[in-house]
Amino acid sequence: MLSSFKSEWKPFEDLARSFAAKELAGKTEEHDRYPFGEFFHDVLDKAYEVGFLGIMLPGELGGAGGGIGTLCTVLAALCRADSSPGGIVFTNALVQKILLAADARDIAGEIFGRASSAGGFLAAFPSYTHPAHQDNLPEYKRSGRGYSLTGPVDLLVLGGLARRAIIPARAGSGRQGSFFLIDLDHKGVSKSEPVFTLGMHACPAVDVRLDRVRARLIGEEGKGEEYFDRVLPAMHVAAAAMNAGIMRGALDEALAYARERFQGGREIIRWSEVSMLLAGMAVKADAADMCVTLACQALEQGEAGWSSRCAAAALHVHEIACEAVTDGVQVLGGNGYMKDYGQEKRFRDARQVQALLGSVPARKLDLIRKVSGV
Amino acid sequence: MLSSAEVSNRLSGFPRFEDMSLSLPYAPRMPKGMVRETREVVAIARTFNDEVARPRALELDRKTHEDPGYMPRDLVELANRWGFYTMWIPRIFGGRGYNMPSMSYFAEEVGSVCLGIMNVIGVHYLGVAGVVASANTRLAKRILGEVVRGEKTGNPCLIALATTEPGAGTDVEEVELVDKGRVACHARRVRGGYVVNGTKVFISMGHVSTWTVLYAYEDLKRPSETTVGLMVKTGTQGFSFGSHENKMGQRVCPASVLVFEDCFIPDDQVLFSTDMVRKFTKKPIREVAQRYIDYVVGATRPGVCAFGVGAARGAFETALKHASTTTMNGTLLINHEWVQSMLAEMYKNVALGRLAYTEANYANSHRGLYKILQLKPVYYYLRLMPQAYFDKVIGPMLEKDYSTRLMGKLSYDWARPEDQRCCSGWASLAKVAGTDLGVRNCQMAIELMGQTGLRQDAGVEKMLRDIKLLQIYEGTNQLNRLNVFKCLIAPEIPQARVFEEDR
Repeated sequence: MLSSFKSEWKPFEDLARSFAAKELAGKTEEHDRYPFGEFFHDVLDKAYEVGFLGIMLPGELGGAGGGIGTLCTVLAALCRADSSPGGIVFTNALVQKILLAADARDIAGEIFGRASSAGGFLAAFPSYTHPAHQDNLPEYKRSGRGYSLTGPVDLLVLGGLARRAIIPARAGSGRQGSFFLIDLDHKGVSKSEPVFTLGMHACPAVDVRLDRVRARLIGEEGKGEEYFDRVLPAMHVAAAAMNAGIMRGALDEALAYARERFQGGREIIRWSEVSMLLAGMAVKADAADMCVTLACQALEQGEAGWSSRCAAAALHVHEIACEAVTDGVQVLGGNGYMKDYGQEKRFRDARQVQALLGSVPARKLDLIRKVSGV
Repeated sequence: MLSSAEVSNRLSGFPRFEDMSLSLPYAPRMPKGMVRETREVVAIARTFNDEVARPRALELDRKTHEDPGYMPRDLVELANRWGFYTMWIPRIFGGRGYNMPSMSYFAEEVGSVCLGIMNVIGVHYLGVAGVVASANTRLAKRILGEVVRGEKTGNPCLIALATTEPGAGTDVEEVELVDKGRVACHARRVRGGYVVNGTKVFISMGHVSTWTVLYAYEDLKRPSETTVGLMVKTGTQGFSFGSHENKMGQRVCPASVLVFEDCFIPDDQVLFSTDMVRKFTKKPIREVAQRYIDYVVGATRPGVCAFGVGAARGAFETALKHASTTTMNGTLLINHEWVQSMLAEMYKNVALGRLAYTEANYANSHRGLYKILQLKPVYYYLRLMPQAYFDKVIGPMLEKDYSTRLMGKLSYDWARPEDQRCCSGWASLAKVAGTDLGVRNCQMAIELMGQTGLRQDAGVEKMLRDIKLLQIYEGTNQLNRLNVFKCLIAPEIPQARVFEEDR
């Protein structure tokens, strides 16, 4: 729906929608059974083939060279059908943005430029955290010409699938963090089974314990927070686009059901109490699209002052998404609670997406610190 | 000062004083023994939580994802051994006879650990309420007697209740709506009983229950006037189970599909029918059917509120533990002011929810389904007389027609409409309040806990999945809000019409 605001995004939306129709529609429940069912490697391979795993990565580094608008358009269209592939695209984009922010094009080229499969193109990241808000980051030490990392990383997204990961770490007790590239096949890496989480089951995460794992510094030492802050505005909007897509999907299904389901002698959409629920969802879905679009346009044009607005827009979109998906279940009554329909998954996924890039209260406090300067 | 006539006049205006606070007039009338009993019930629930529910809740939830066909037979056997399936069955029927409001406190306790496990215990009492509210003492004695024997012999005998149909959920909860609904479960009168055809869905614990209270209709065009309540035993020819639903939460408690194909139910298993009702009242059958529904949901919806309060408390306790052991910027979360404020808000939600079910229980205790049991002399009589007295003296009386007629007169003919509205309205009010507050607390806990909150092994994400069902079952909160309007507000507004909105 974002393309209705800007026609340049239309081809990417069409591509993502046709991908969703072909690869995701009718299979979301099956895909969501992971880790108790099979992982959808075929979908991942196809997402790689069409370029979804490197949308914002420059062409010379193996990416599609798109802007934030393209990324958000694709994420919203994918998440309208199933948010798990959206989570994978998001995490890979986050890693790529961090590498570019740190001007580590050499490392990006090594990972993405040389990859020849989806597995090789993936990179893992603890996407549900803001490293600066985490007290228990792994510790790094100089080791010969390089570095070594020791400590736990919880919920390392794609950690069970990717060969490499970007890990935030600190030196001893200092607060300044740095980013490192590690090889997940290193003998000092021990991984848990996929962690069973609330939503986005097919965008899995593992808990990882690092024991003197060889690591390459990304950019400069102690500048991790600066790099992360640089990528945050765009990635906040990307996460918001995911929830905008989820909301759109919830509204689609609620409207379709309300037109068909009879209660009290008429279609439930003809009862005003249900109409009010639907209206609330429609308002929220449109508001979310507008927030995302405006933020994308401002970011693409390099307008000043959008850093905190993007964070604010994302917080707002996530909040209304979590309300809208709750009502989405409610419109379908008992059916909304069952896995035969898509609403229960959206109810779970919206909360999971909201948690991307750190806890909500921490992000709110961060926002007001930045806005006020206090 | 005002004269007593003036006071009465003032207090009869909207909201009527008697509807404003139920605890104020009724708390002093409560038998003191109920407090002692409730303390014991809470202690039992906490023991069960420590020994059974807490060690198993997450593991069982995970198991149901690994094996979607999982049935909680082991849990049912355990709950049976703990005596939970007879705990709130009155002693005249052979049960342990704990006071009904104490079940809400129990539900809050066990629900604070696992709503699924609580439903495995609690939904049986929806069936019990369906049996008892019918006024059919003969059949109640027989069925509840089997539950009691099932406990003694170690073969659990549970009762499920089947109302919802594939095409009708909200409609079957309201007599006003059912004639416009798409009900399809048909009971044909034949010599010696009924033959039933139809399907029921979302029937909690259907697969593992021995008896099902089944509602069907003699005339599908006039269901409100032809409602039939039937007791169907699992294994009866023509009664089978379809799949059980693949739910988001409360997965340990199956929601079953029940299929009836030319299923014959003999007369002695008819719980409620027009012919039976005519033996004790001349009131329109629609009115009696609505009263019957209201008795059942009026008693069970406060329980759902307690389930919601349980989840609200579970979320609060989980968040509190997390905040007490996790740091942010080097300071324990619990020492951040925003965290203290959030935790206080959650604690407040728990307390308000508890007040809601307490008020609704006062309505039922003094103006509803079990008001006779709560009269002080009756309460102590039932507590103190030896069980042999009930078995040998009262038991045979329950099987006589006069007993059913008396219960019918008491419950239907002599009951006041304003009491029905009070109980039903407060039950809906509590249900909406407790479940909405529960959802809110689970959401707040997940937000507070950040990425930890997303993990199944941290507990709170399961609470969010589990509690969502409470806003839907026992009437969606949308229907329940309309019922609050219908029962507590509309009677004051002559021009108000409910369930008749213009298109």
